[in-house]
Amino acid sequence: MSPLIRQHRYALGVTLRRLLSQPFSSIANILVITLALAIPLLGATALMSLRPVANHLTADPEMTVFMQVSATPAETGAVADRIRRDHASEIRGLRVISRDRALAELKANPAYAQALAVLPDNPLPDAIVVTLEGEDLAQRSAKLAALWKTWTKVDMVQVDSAWVQRLEAILRFARASLLFLALVVAVAVLAAVFNTVRMQAMTQREEIAVARLVGATESFVRRPFLYQGALTGAVSALIAIGAAALALTPLNDALLGLARSYGAEFALHLPGLPVLAAAVIAAGVLGALSARWSVTRSTRF
Amino acid sequence: MIEFQQVYKSYGRGIDTLADVTFGIAQGEFVFVSGPSGAGKSTLLKLIAGLDVPNRGTVLVNGKNVGKLPGRFRPYLRRAIGTILQDVHLLSDRSAFENVMLPLTVTGHSRAAAAKRAHAAIERVGLSGKDGLRPQELSGGDQQRLAIARAIVNRPGLLVADEPTANLDRESARRIVEVFRDFNRVGVTTILATHDESLITDYATRVLLVKEGKVTDGGKRTPRLGGEVEA
Repeated sequence: MSPLIRQHRYALGVTLRRLLSQPFSSIANILVITLALAIPLLGATALMSLRPVANHLTADPEMTVFMQVSATPAETGAVADRIRRDHASEIRGLRVISRDRALAELKANPAYAQALAVLPDNPLPDAIVVTLEGEDLAQRSAKLAALWKTWTKVDMVQVDSAWVQRLEAILRFARASLLFLALVVAVAVLAAVFNTVRMQAMTQREEIAVARLVGATESFVRRPFLYQGALTGAVSALIAIGAAALALTPLNDALLGLARSYGAEFALHLPGLPVLAAAVIAAGVLGALSARWSVTRSTRF
Repeated sequence: MIEFQQVYKSYGRGIDTLADVTFGIAQGEFVFVSGPSGAGKSTLLKLIAGLDVPNRGTVLVNGKNVGKLPGRFRPYLRRAIGTILQDVHLLSDRSAFENVMLPLTVTGHSRAAAAKRAHAAIERVGLSGKDGLRPQELSGGDQQRLAIARAIVNRPGLLVADEPTANLDRESARRIVEVFRDFNRVGVTTILATHDESLITDYATRVLLVKEGKVTDGGKRTPRLGGEVEA
């Protein structure tokens, strides 16, 4: 075994001994960092679970062209033909819902049947439902809506994907907030590890002085603290993942009930193994960097 | 082995702790550094041990210029020097054996080889059977012996001890100096700082007198208790 490996093994042993010599302090410190890490982890879990749902919803954007009530079936048909002809490459599908059919469908619903029965005339207009094709749907649908609205006998154009756009905007905002939260948590982890290592370095001053006296390099002196920081960060991240996984069970139970009431299936899932592994490594590296900074400041020779 | 050339050292209070110090110590010498408290003895020894650097002048130890040696190389210089400070700096949470093992751990020795050398060093200073005791369970004299064992376990060519007998009774102090003399007899250059005149009279073959930052070389002398004067 090379001297360097022996020194690393020694440093790891010293680290574990120090952590175990103050079990309550070590556990409290790890728990604080765990809590700090669990919050953005759950946030990331929610965002990553929502992304495919949002993607799926935006895959079928529909626009509804409402004709004026006075428009004849021929005029409605002319508008539908014009959409097919002028925007053939931009649409995937088109269907016309006549005002009579709309009224019949509405009457079939007992909730509206009574109210509709007292109306003298059919108040509903003809409608043309257009399914769009291709990319950049949000921008194109807005342009098409503005254009179609100017056509004769067209009353209004409704972009059915508007709420999806709003959802996307919310997700963008949530992603930015999550990034900010992650930065705040990173600073919190840095501060927690920095302070712990500083306290530890204070109590180990005598040992550090003796090690330097007998020829220890600065790397040798710092190494146990670096291991301590890295271990604290990585173990906290692992526990945070475990805690998040546990928290997802009751959260998903509640969420599933809500989703089913909308006729959907939705559940929160932790990010994949590579992302979780990267998070553990990042927390470890962050802990080690903080420890290095702290021990360098606290144990100047 | 050691060369001081017009060395100045101050700690920023406008007063030179050492001023214009020039002397040399050859391989294998047994030198006492004497002088009143606060005269600069400890500073002198710290410069020799690579624990501090001069403000001006040159300190050469084993051919290395201590002042110009980059910080990352200084630990390697210290490994070649056995240093015993006035406060023994023993780790109270470890056994005598573990204290002696530390320099070998620092240099990356295997546990088996380190244990063998640590036991030999402990035996050499007369602490056999006390390996498992904590420093606080040892007498003052034995704590000094333990510090010496830790200093010699890396087999240094130079031993530097700052007031190693300061807190000991007369008999214990003599025994400690004799341990140092034993090492010197096998070729280890030894430098002891003390203000105990009787020890100097009995053991010193050369004395450097430090007073108000100046060092006066007392030259070679014959000790009362049969030390040999280097040619």
